[in-house]
Amino acid sequence: MGARGGIWPAVYARMHWILLGLAALLPAVDLLLPPEFRLADLVRPIFIFAVLGMGLNIVTGFTGLLNLGVAAFMAIGAYTYAIATCDIYPFQLGFWTALPLTIAVGAAAGIILGLPTIRLKGDYLAIVTMGFGEMVQDSLKNLDVITKGTQGINPLPSPTLFGYVFKPETPLPWYYLFLALLAVVVLLTRNLERSRIGRTWASIREDELAATCMGINSMKAKLLAFAIGASFCSMAGGLWGAYLGSSGEPGNYDFQISIIALCIVIVGGMGSVSGVLLGAFVMIGFNAILLTKLTAFLAQHGWTSSDNVFTSPSNWKYMMFGLALILMMRFKPEGLLPSRRVKAELHEYDKDVPRQAGGATT
Amino acid sequence: MGGPLLKAEAIRAGYGPIEALKGLSLSVAPGEIVTLIGANGAGKSSTLLCISGIHPIRSGAIHFDGERIDKLPAHDIVKRGLVQVPEGRRIFPRLTVLENLQLGAYLRKDLDGIKNDFERVFALFPILAERRAQAGGTLSGGEQQMLAIGRAVMSKPRLLLMDEPSMGIAPVLTAKIFDTIRELNQQGLTILLVEQNAHLALQLAQRAYVLETGQIVLEGPAQELLADPRVRKSYLGEE
Ligand SMILES: Nc1ncnc2c1ncn2[C@@H]1O[C@H](COP(=O)(O)OP(=O)(O)OP(=O)(O)O)[C@@H](O)[C@H]1O
Ligand SMILES: [Mg+2]
Repeated sequence: MGARGGIWPAVYARMHWILLGLAALLPAVDLLLPPEFRLADLVRPIFIFAVLGMGLNIVTGFTGLLNLGVAAFMAIGAYTYAIATCDIYPFQLGFWTALPLTIAVGAAAGIILGLPTIRLKGDYLAIVTMGFGEMVQDSLKNLDVITKGTQGINPLPSPTLFGYVFKPETPLPWYYLFLALLAVVVLLTRNLERSRIGRTWASIREDELAATCMGINSMKAKLLAFAIGASFCSMAGGLWGAYLGSSGEPGNYDFQISIIALCIVIVGGMGSVSGVLLGAFVMIGFNAILLTKLTAFLAQHGWTSSDNVFTSPSNWKYMMFGLALILMMRFKPEGLLPSRRVKAELHEYDKDVPRQAGGATT
Repeated sequence: MGGPLLKAEAIRAGYGPIEALKGLSLSVAPGEIVTLIGANGAGKSSTLLCISGIHPIRSGAIHFDGERIDKLPAHDIVKRGLVQVPEGRRIFPRLTVLENLQLGAYLRKDLDGIKNDFERVFALFPILAERRAQAGGTLSGGEQQMLAIGRAVMSKPRLLLMDEPSMGIAPVLTAKIFDTIRELNQQGLTILLVEQNAHLALQLAQRAYVLETGQIVLEGPAQELLADPRVRKSYLGEE
């Protein structure tokens, strides 16, 4: 991407809005396609995983703390949402009360995990977060009095907005509901990134000792990153619950979810908001759209059957995720839409580091 | 006033079984440049890390402006105006020069003062103004040292600790940086300078301490130490 001047830097800086804008137009494009190629129905998980990716990006991308347990926060969100809304519990809150509650519970869970672990460095922290992921899964299984064990909690009532009811059989309103909520998360994340706390996180990621020398309380800043990141991940869980009409079962929130979230952030670009959006589109789009369509297509032509595990593309997906990661690390380690800061580091030695459009950022 | 700005008394510190500081005492009066010289591994950086609250001391006491600070967390010590330019510069490589300087002013709220200090830093180091939008990591070693000093100045220190600002920098630039240190001192900043380049440091400072394996072995006016045969032999490379 050589273009230095011109409008490219300005376009690049707004790439997240462009991506969200394109997503908003997708259902219109769908009208022109034959029914079997329509995408909008399948895109909703992408929005939810993009929210999950935003949460992880705050902790891992902005602050540099490797978190391998975001599935736990997603599970906490889904179960909080389910318990708050399902009519077998006394609360029976609506979507718009349950969702903020989910976010708050997520933040609290982030602090509970963060307080004892935040002093750990690098790999040790990653291992503890991974353990936390397993622990939450097991707890949800074993607390079956509350969580219904492996059954999950369902059915959950449909969300409503000004009297309108989001029904499972009408996907389009859901599409715009999730897109709008994702846009809010993107707006918040961008504001955080450019604010004082964003710069604080970046300084900790770059050099914690130097940050301390500037008078930064790095424990406090890291804990805040954990809390905000966890609240977004928990929100993604709440949306997932609303989307499924069920909490899902504990096993749905396994280590693979955490890894997929990490892939989204890495493939998109660590610390890059537009990168995380694109990463979610690519990773989940691949999973939810391409593989689904391909499997259906092959089955339709009798080239594959459900009892032959080797010829079903869905069974290949993790190998393909792995391959995508390896290729990415080899050829574009900064991600598809890298953040300016990360790119500067990885290409530290080409003196050709792009200057920020218009000079200063604040 | 009247008393020393910084006073360390019999501080001991270490890393596991290693004792890096064995009852070290030193003091810095307001307005002074004091230098701490010593060979590799003598404990110079450890001393500064302990004063800044980044590394804990095992015994002894450290007072800054009459208040005991050795139990305070590092960020509270910075808040009181005791600021360190750490060994090896440690600028934020992926952040721009401007962002590095903004982080220096992290704890400040006085917008006008911050603005003045930007001007001041850019006057001290015009190259930083030129490179303000460039990532810190792309600066040369000397420029990074200037950025590290500029960043510390942005935090409006009352006492500046500097750990080997001449490390890995060409002599011409070192001279320029030492000139700046003198200029900052003349503008009223108190400085504790750690150096291996004893010759330059002793010419710049008013007083000096010589550190050997965690203990002060010599102290006095810098000019006297410059003439001291032991210093000349061990630190100025004379026979
Ligand atoms: N993190 C650490 N872990 C273990 N030992 C350490 C650590 N840091 C320093 N030391 C030891 O403490 C002693 C003093 O080290 P220090 O870094 O203070 O020396 P210095 O005078 O700054 O040396 P130099 O001129 O090489 O920077 C040395 O023996 C060193 O090996
Ligand atoms: Mg040292």
